Amino acid sequence: MSIRSLIFASPLFRLFWLGLVLAAVSGNSLAAKQSLTPVAGKPPAPAFSLKDMDGETHRLSDFRGKAVIVNFWATWCPPCRAELPSMNRAWTNLKNDDVVMIAINVGEDEDTIFSFMGDYPIDFLTLMDQDSRVIGNWPVKGLPTTFVVDPQGQLIYRAIGSREWDDPNLLEMVRQLNQKK
Amino acid sequence: MDFSRPFLVLFTLTVLSAGVSTAAVETATDPETGLQSWHLRDHDFSLQLIQRLPDQTRAFFLARGFNQPIADQIATSCVLQAIGKNTSHAPDGSTIEYNLADWRVRFDGKTQGIKLKSQWLQQWAREQAASPSSKIAFRWATFPSQQTFEPDGDFNWGMISFGLPPGSVFDLKVQWRQNQQPRKTWIRNLQCPSDR
Repeated sequence: MSIRSLIFASPLFRLFWLGLVLAAVSGNSLAAKQSLTPVAGKPPAPAFSLKDMDGETHRLSDFRGKAVIVNFWATWCPPCRAELPSMNRAWTNLKNDDVVMIAINVGEDEDTIFSFMGDYPIDFLTLMDQDSRVIGNWPVKGLPTTFVVDPQGQLIYRAIGSREWDDPNLLEMVRQLNQKK
Repeated sequence: MDFSRPFLVLFTLTVLSAGVSTAAVETATDPETGLQSWHLRDHDFSLQLIQRLPDQTRAFFLARGFNQPIADQIATSCVLQAIGKNTSHAPDGSTIEYNLADWRVRFDGKTQGIKLKSQWLQQWAREQAASPSSKIAFRWATFPSQQTFEPDGDFNWGMISFGLPPGSVFDLKVQWRQNQQPRKTWIRNLQCPSDR
């Protein structure tokens, strides 16, 4: 038996791997602790008017009276790609709760977005901010950044970087906004 | 299952981290690509810097509408991928703030600032060299020049260009504020990827 086989077969080595697995599991549970940050002063959400993939125009004011999740993203942004599947699952949970979910793509054309959606299906409203004028009016410094707007049109929560959006705690934070209206 | 590869990665990581003078910085080498990375964890701030091959960076910016000379210019300016994160959690979490303009690069006996995205954009405005759509991609693909990370999950990815020739070895002074308290540490012997 080779030295390598002896090392890998030894109880000590197995214990070492068990330790690594446990460390990874506890690391994941820490990583799973996530939340949304309350926005100080609840400022009014900056208005926008943007086209969707079919050329139809949507305004933020169209959704007054509902909680709105607004996510700024781009196809080339790894954390944006990472969170889109969980946003889609969250949308499945929220769409009957009078909640609106909007993904605003920054700086790309509809061909790029359309081809991306072949791999990352997005079932909620996708708008295009091709000249980045809208994101320039929002307090965003990096992608992805997501805001939750309350039914009165105020910025209530912010998340910088991706989240697991189907986390029941996050969904409950959004649902509660509709209960307060 | 082949256990030998992760074992080797872990071994490399351990050996290299032991050689770094700043205790809070771990260094690793990806066994497949050979790219190096540095991971600082200190006072609720985590910063990972990962080498990007100039070809990767060049291809990224060419695909976003930059012409070849500008894509070359960015690619050979020592671009590393940065991941900055607030590692703290409520209720005792910290607010982490940074400004890349405060960070310092020590190279070849001289100390200088990072080449900020605003400097690149000013340069291109003078030269009228980059299209509006390519500048939008550059603005958002680069690490935010200033940011405030709150507890429970805030983080950003993005590229940082250090403005040094490929293959340069340098030290970086990283500064941030944890609940308004200034913090700083050096990451030693960072290496710009070679243009191979």
